[in-house]
Amino acid sequence: MLSIAIPIAFALVGTAFTLTLWRLLIGPSVPDRILALDTLAVNAIALLVLFGIAQDSAVYFEAAILIALMGFVGTVALCKYLLRGDIIE
Amino acid sequence: MNLLLCVITPFLGAALVAAVARLGTWQAAAAAAGVTLAAGAWLAPLVGGTFQGTTLIERYTWMPREGLDLTFRLDGFGLLFALMILGIGLLVILYARWYFSPQDRLGRFYTGMMLFMGSMLGVVLSENLIQLLIFWELTSLSSFLLISYWQQRTEARQGARMALTVTGMGGLALLGGILLLGQITGSYDLSVVLAAGDQVRAHPLYLPTLLLILLGAFTKSAQFPFHFWLPNAMAAPTPVSAYLHSATMVKAGVFLLARLFPTLSGTPEWTWIVSLTGLTTLLIGAVFALFKHDLKGLLAYSTISHLGLITLLFGLGTPLAALAGVFHIINHATFKASLFMAAGIIDHETGTRDMRRINGMWGVMPYTATLAMVAAAAMAGVPLFNGFLSKEMFFTETLGTVAQLRFGWLLPLTAIVAGIFAVAYSLRFIHDVFFNGAPIDLPRTPHEPSRWMRLPVEVLVALCLLVGMLPALTVEPLLAIAARGVLQGPLPPHSIAIWHGFTPALWMSLIALTGGVLVYEGRRPLFALAARLEGRLEARRPYDWLVAGVFGVARWVTVRLDLASLQRMLFLFVLSALALGMAGFWSAPMPLTGAGPLLPFDPVSLLVALGLAACTASVVVLHRSRLIALILLGAVGLIVSLIFAKFSAPDLALTQLSVEVVTIVLLLLALYFLPQSTPAESSRPRQVRDLLLALAAGGGNAALAWAVLTRPAESIADWFLTHSLPGGGGANVVNVILVDFRGFDTLGEITVLALAGLGIYAMLDGLRLPAPAADAQGRAWDPDAHPLIMASLVRLLLPLALLVAVYILLRGHQLPGGGFIAGLVTAVALIMQYLANGVAWTRARLPANLHPLIAAGLLIATMTGLGSLALGYPFLTSSFVHFHWALVGDFELASAMAFDLGVYLVVVGATLLILIHLGLVHDLSRPPAEEPR
Amino acid sequence: MEALLALMIGLLTAAGVYLLLRARTFPVVLGLSLLSYAVNLFLFAMGRLQIGRPPIVTATAAGYTDPLPQALVLTAIVIGFAMTAFVIMLALKARAELGNDHVDGLHEPEVRDTDS
Repeated sequence: MLSIAIPIAFALVGTAFTLTLWRLLIGPSVPDRILALDTLAVNAIALLVLFGIAQDSAVYFEAAILIALMGFVGTVALCKYLLRGDIIE
Repeated sequence: MNLLLCVITPFLGAALVAAVARLGTWQAAAAAAGVTLAAGAWLAPLVGGTFQGTTLIERYTWMPREGLDLTFRLDGFGLLFALMILGIGLLVILYARWYFSPQDRLGRFYTGMMLFMGSMLGVVLSENLIQLLIFWELTSLSSFLLISYWQQRTEARQGARMALTVTGMGGLALLGGILLLGQITGSYDLSVVLAAGDQVRAHPLYLPTLLLILLGAFTKSAQFPFHFWLPNAMAAPTPVSAYLHSATMVKAGVFLLARLFPTLSGTPEWTWIVSLTGLTTLLIGAVFALFKHDLKGLLAYSTISHLGLITLLFGLGTPLAALAGVFHIINHATFKASLFMAAGIIDHETGTRDMRRINGMWGVMPYTATLAMVAAAAMAGVPLFNGFLSKEMFFTETLGTVAQLRFGWLLPLTAIVAGIFAVAYSLRFIHDVFFNGAPIDLPRTPHEPSRWMRLPVEVLVALCLLVGMLPALTVEPLLAIAARGVLQGPLPPHSIAIWHGFTPALWMSLIALTGGVLVYEGRRPLFALAARLEGRLEARRPYDWLVAGVFGVARWVTVRLDLASLQRMLFLFVLSALALGMAGFWSAPMPLTGAGPLLPFDPVSLLVALGLAACTASVVVLHRSRLIALILLGAVGLIVSLIFAKFSAPDLALTQLSVEVVTIVLLLLALYFLPQSTPAESSRPRQVRDLLLALAAGGGNAALAWAVLTRPAESIADWFLTHSLPGGGGANVVNVILVDFRGFDTLGEITVLALAGLGIYAMLDGLRLPAPAADAQGRAWDPDAHPLIMASLVRLLLPLALLVAVYILLRGHQLPGGGFIAGLVTAVALIMQYLANGVAWTRARLPANLHPLIAAGLLIATMTGLGSLALGYPFLTSSFVHFHWALVGDFELASAMAFDLGVYLVVVGATLLILIHLGLVHDLSRPPAEEPR
Repeated sequence: MEALLALMIGLLTAAGVYLLLRARTFPVVLGLSLLSYAVNLFLFAMGRLQIGRPPIVTATAAGYTDPLPQALVLTAIVIGFAMTAFVIMLALKARAELGNDHVDGLHEPEVRDTDS
């Protein structure tokens, strides 16, 4: 069952990854790109979790958690920069 | 043990003296004297044995494989020098207490003097030659500090620099000589070297060895043509000159000549080089001394002349000449030290050292005048004073060469001429200063100095007289053991007495005395001639040219290497690296692709790789829009961490992710003060050129990576993998390597991190930068500094993130994680509070000063290491225990985890320090009108 | 797969070197970051590539990848951050002292309008 589901999931996440990447590269506005980076982080989480399932290993899940945390922080910092320029004030 | 303690005591005492000197001048002097006496006290119990002829050797193993041991040696010759160093040192300490004015900081003088004393004791008490050289260099360094004591004076700085340069170069040559000597004899131990004289002299490398060692000795002892540094070093305070330039430092050179006398002497090379150098120096010093108007200048050239005399005696190579050399070392030290002190008294009282102005001092200070006269008589070689005895031995020895060498008659002749001038300048020192009419325009009104200032001179002058009149009772035993130490064998038959009958030597002495008086009587035309030649015969000219030449060459090279453009230098740097890499490829004739097993492709990896390629290329293409390039850089970092995860490196993936975010925050903080876009400045050919170089570098790296990746691995990893759990108590091998196996490296790395943080903190101090008033598109900044939703959400995030951090820290030893990652996560969580809630809000809740955090981290890490040291294990040995914790389950506590805690604290502290203080620059830079609400 | 990683290392190097040769400080810092990615990946690759074999000792593992390059690279990443911070601080200091952000710091002061 899993041997069918995982390739399909990989294919779907891969597609999402590609599309997000496309948005990141062409923009056009800066918020577009920030949003794309945030989404790219989500895709990366999905890829890692899928990879962990495929490998039957839990070692990669912390990395997924950390991507979630760090992706959020990065997005906040970039947005704050857009709004105020000065991010620590 | 005693010898080691004797040498070390002055070094330790230097710190004590520096501390005590704050209390006052008396205390400083007392502490310095106490240290000197303590050093002497270690030596005292050994004196008896040395007089019976034993040679004491103390050995402490240090680096036995390199032939380097801490080895000390005490024989008669070493004892003689140690007594001079300590005895005259004690007198100089007392003298200096009165010499310096209240404005001078005596603590610095006494500290420097203690350092010098320790170095000098090290030189004379070393058995190992390398160790001797180390102390030798220390004397150069500490004498630099002493000569430049009045560092506000130009001539003091110049004199000190010149002395250091000349003796330092000599030290370098000496190092070469000693290494050669070690190669020839197979040992650096003096005992071995002294016993291997025949082997050394027969060796093909004898001449270079001899030349190098002589260079060291001649520069130190101010022999022609290196003598010029000594008169220039007279810018030193007089106590320094009395100590360094009469009894100790300059004697180190002749000490070395005497010490290696059994090994190196006895060949024609030795005789010719050493005696000719000594002879030239003897004559030049004596002649120049007469024409110096500066009191200390006269004494300096006289010292050069006497050092030449001693060198000449050792150069003659006979045992009796060596004995005379040792005797003159003793005599010169006593009368010259007292003369320097007398000159210092006169300088101190009159305020000048110019003999043309100081006249008629007999009427003002008859007591000092009497002392100076006795010392000067000894210097001139007048009978009944100690200088006479050794000078007569010297004359006898010069006569002995007449029959042996061609032009041998030149030697006694030159000796007589030098003797005549010695008498003349001694006469001048006395007559010009104490008589010769009335003083001219003195800066101060002179009178007899303090009783205590005269005491050291009295002691030395008494010695001159005692030795001069009763040599057999006073100096004979010491001289005998010292000379035996030099010769390493039985003494030649000799008799030291005032009266030997009307020998040729006595006639030579009488000629010198009469001639000296005559020359001084007829001095006026000679002085006129000297005034006309003034400055023409300066031996420092070549030195100045040499120094200027070296600076010129350095500047020439610098100008050619430093292109003053980072771009051009980086281009050349990458180009050279590329060329070297290519050369490596070409010179190794093997296929690019190895025979190792390869992993199969999979479509997801291909996709991710394409994503990485696209993002990387876009960073380059879009780099002019800086914010966009930064966002893309973030994507690159994210994908790199995915690569780490994919190829079995979860720790690296975690680290990369955390660092990525911290870097983005950092660059955003910096970008605020920088232009938002990069102007298109590079010309098209320039861009193409850079692109070609970049592609070549990238191609080279790719080829190299491919070549390695396709070859089977040979690694030392197995050892780590098998020992990690049983030896380090951790299943996560990467973490165990970091905190246990290679813990020392990690300690170094967190120290670097802490230093970088502190360095940035220092750089940010007082930095003011213009802050933009609007964003890149010219829109005004959003007025809401801390949006409510963001602030609330981020506050919620804090406990969550801290929980993750603690979790990652604790489990790091067993599963992916550890101090580095946990530290970064914590730093990010805390930074978020600054970011979303503002500095004021966060500062009210968190300690603002991060330096204690960093310090605590380093301290914990170091203490963990020291803890294992205290238990008798090597530094940073880990130990661990298993125990059961309620709720948590089986838990393992390793001492390496405490180390990891240290790592954690340093990473948190340094990261926060960098980011927060960069953030604070913003507040400082903001115009006051636009205060944040 | 090895070819893919080698290509990525090459590409990151090329991009890093190109940006390193730019005339303004910020692109140089970006180039330095890219270059350190390349170097870290390169060092990491010295242990060869293994999939699903993290160096975490367990009873059932089929094998482990080389932990040593990982330990090296881990500290290299952190030190790399410190270095980036130091360089960007130098850039800011140069900007404060010289009034522009040219790497050689000796070109004409920039026009204020263009940078904000």
